[in-house]
Amino acid sequence: MKKLLLVFAIFVTGMSQAQTKFEQGMGQAFGLWKEGKPAEATALFERIAGAEKNSWLPNYYVAFISTISSFETKDKEKVNALLTKAQNVLDIEMAKDPNNPELLVLQALTYTGWIAFDPMTNGMKYSPKVMELYGKAEAIAPENPRVVYGKAEFEIGGAKFFGTDTKPMCAEIDRAITLFAKFKPETPFSPKWGLDRALDIQKECGKK
Amino acid sequence: MKSIFTFLIFLCTTAAFSQNIVSGKVVDEKGKGVPGANLFIDGTYDGTSSDENGNFSFTTDTTGNQVLVASFLIYETSRTTIDVSNFKDKTIKLRENVNSLDAVVVSAGTMESGDKARVSVLKPLDIVTTAGSAGDIVAALQTLPGTQTVGESGRLFVRGGEADETQTYVDGIRVAQPYGSTTQNLPTRGRFSPFLFSGISFSTGGYSAEYGEALSSVLLLNTQDEPDQNKTDISLMTVGLGIGNTQKWAKSSLSVNAAYIDLAPYQKAIPQNIDWNRPFQSLSGEAVYRYGFNNGLLKVYGAFDASRYDLNQSNINLDHKMRVDLSNNNLYLNASYKGNFSGNWQITSGVSYGYGANKIGLDEDEVENAENAAHLKLKFRKSFSDRVKLSFGGDYFITDFDEQYTGFPQIGYNANIAAVYSEADVFFSKKFAAKVGIRASNNDLLNETNVAPRISLAYKIAKYSQFSFAYGDFTQAPRQEYLKYSKFFESEKASHYILNFQYAKERQTLRLEAYYKDYRNLVGYDTPTVAYNSNFNNNGNGYAAGLDVFWRDGKSVKNLEYWVSYSYIDTKRMYQNFPEKVTPSFVADHNLSLVTKYWIPDWKSQIGFTNSFSSGRPYNNPNEIKFMNGKTKSYNNLAFNWAYLLTAQKILYFSVSNVLGSQNVYGYEYANQKNSNGIYARQAITPTADRFFFVGFFWTISQDKKSNQLDNL
Repeated sequence: MKKLLLVFAIFVTGMSQAQTKFEQGMGQAFGLWKEGKPAEATALFERIAGAEKNSWLPNYYVAFISTISSFETKDKEKVNALLTKAQNVLDIEMAKDPNNPELLVLQALTYTGWIAFDPMTNGMKYSPKVMELYGKAEAIAPENPRVVYGKAEFEIGGAKFFGTDTKPMCAEIDRAITLFAKFKPETPFSPKWGLDRALDIQKECGKK
Repeated sequence: MKSIFTFLIFLCTTAAFSQNIVSGKVVDEKGKGVPGANLFIDGTYDGTSSDENGNFSFTTDTTGNQVLVASFLIYETSRTTIDVSNFKDKTIKLRENVNSLDAVVVSAGTMESGDKARVSVLKPLDIVTTAGSAGDIVAALQTLPGTQTVGESGRLFVRGGEADETQTYVDGIRVAQPYGSTTQNLPTRGRFSPFLFSGISFSTGGYSAEYGEALSSVLLLNTQDEPDQNKTDISLMTVGLGIGNTQKWAKSSLSVNAAYIDLAPYQKAIPQNIDWNRPFQSLSGEAVYRYGFNNGLLKVYGAFDASRYDLNQSNINLDHKMRVDLSNNNLYLNASYKGNFSGNWQITSGVSYGYGANKIGLDEDEVENAENAAHLKLKFRKSFSDRVKLSFGGDYFITDFDEQYTGFPQIGYNANIAAVYSEADVFFSKKFAAKVGIRASNNDLLNETNVAPRISLAYKIAKYSQFSFAYGDFTQAPRQEYLKYSKFFESEKASHYILNFQYAKERQTLRLEAYYKDYRNLVGYDTPTVAYNSNFNNNGNGYAAGLDVFWRDGKSVKNLEYWVSYSYIDTKRMYQNFPEKVTPSFVADHNLSLVTKYWIPDWKSQIGFTNSFSSGRPYNNPNEIKFMNGKTKSYNNLAFNWAYLLTAQKILYFSVSNVLGSQNVYGYEYANQKNSNGIYARQAITPTADRFFFVGFFWTISQDKKSNQLDNL
């Protein structure tokens, strides 16, 4: 009986280990990211992506961190490498699920990175694509706060350029903030970012 | 039972104790440690990042042979099969990624624009926002070095070559009739609106073995793979109307464009130096259909245009003006498929059909001609790695031409050219690359076979600078004008030697190119003009040597983009009916262009100036003993444009050419006979108008309310 229990115990731990390996890895990667080690975090997400082909989340974060890092990088060569890396893994996940609104938003963000990289060359090329992606994401998930906020932020950029009124977009930012409050991520690791930035923009909207 | 339990426990413990340590060092090509590289066993969580010296060590539960992946941003990802129990203190060498921004580019002779171009000389928008280009692809290319401004023609003349020495390709398939039809000394323009193209590559020499039947230059236009969104474009212009619509579906899309151009109202408002009976009028349409398969893309492009005009042209040999009326119908169809299949193979295949028919009335006489031309193409490309690529393929060109001149028997010809080629692209390192190819072609009309080798090398000397060298042999069948009278020719031949230096950093590009071109087997004849009674020969020859300079800067002054092109050329030819080897009349020794574009945010406007200058061009004055001894005065044209964004989707556009009102002369035509004073009288060949004004309103209707036609102007 004792032995049976022991085996049972081993069996159960084995099971739970298998279950938590993903969570453990993801948790560790988020930890590295929080510690200000985006490169290490990306490396770990990449490894998880290689082992867990059925989850889109690890590659999502590889692309997300790479894109965000590109905004903070000055070295053009490195920006190019980061955005290319983000695009490569996005291509993998978009091929599996072309209608995932979170991936659509991230693709739009990566294109925004290319626009920032060289506005003169890429502005005309990617702006319509970004809008198309947000439009598609909106049709699929009209209540997703990142969709609403991302679209409004991008439109504010365009409106400032042409000097048109930003009020409707600011209203969308307000709506996004209420959506953030209501938003329940599907899993502990599902995307939930965006509220901080939306609040910043709300402040800027309020200034005028 | 007990034994099973023991066995199970035993298994578990062994598993726990069978952890292996994998360790070593990641280095670059110089042996220096690479920090921050990602090392892991493929398909597992087991791995780590290398430390600041490139060292790494991690444990893995896996056993036996596994794939160790080492990746880092700017290096090629390495995959090594290792025995995990026996991989300690080993060195992994990462190679630099040859696809990175600062890798060497084989660039001699070629100037690119568009998505894939690593070093963009022209941006897609430039075609249309260059003052003086009026949306004509060819006119914008004429601001690049290596081209000649030949205002009375409007075609591309490259490095001492005639206009027909340049071939145009759309999606890799030849366009037999790239220009609108005109008669003598009336400029034409490119048949294609820049609207549907996303990439342009213009080569002034030394191009790939993939392209044949071009002595001097190739112009490669690529249609967009995928449009951005559904939209409708409306243009209202002083010279006509245009409308375009794009529809996008899940896997396919369709873009349609139609334009009606009529110069009559403009002519009423601002008379030109032409005695029109019926000013130029044309109706044209273009359509692109794209269908995306899982592994490939099918594109079908079609263009149709019908144009006509009727005018009285003064002729120095006639006491009255000659009435010239022309009507032209042109159809171009092009279908191409590009697909990938397993083993890194890529297939490109396509077919084009061009039909051009002209009806030209010359006083009482009438000429009718028609050309049917087709091109079939099949190309394979195999990527062995990022560093080695091989492509090979074949072409088949069919040309059928017939012409009927009142009172003369019908003439024409039918030529078939079959060609095969093969080419290898090799990166020896991030600094050194080569492209080596060979092309063989057979022309059944001329009954001859030609073999043409091509080679290009590029070497990077510093982070932003590189040298390229290209050599190639090029052949082209004699032009229609000759072939319709005789088929006893050989192909005309040229060899190119090009040395190129390029410096590209952020938004600054400097390009210096020196070249030498050797022409052989040029066609000659013994009559004043080409006619049925001409005796032809293939004994002509010539050379062209020169230096092209290009500087583009979008960095030094905020909101200002400008480029400067300067070309110097020394060229002489013995061909046509020349009595001696001289510089032909279409060549100016010095060509200088300055293009500027200034964006004024407060005005929501882009303002552009383009100044084109050419030194005098030779002309033959029969009153002098020496052949081709005259020289025109220099040519100058300052053009201005202004694009104003009314809203994001409405643009008002204004342009004017020759702001300074320079009295430009392209050359002179002399009488065939002496007049009563014993001299040959002459008349100047001048622009059709001293100045050309253009006003347009462009409106885009799309869902996102953001895109506009700025890139159409």
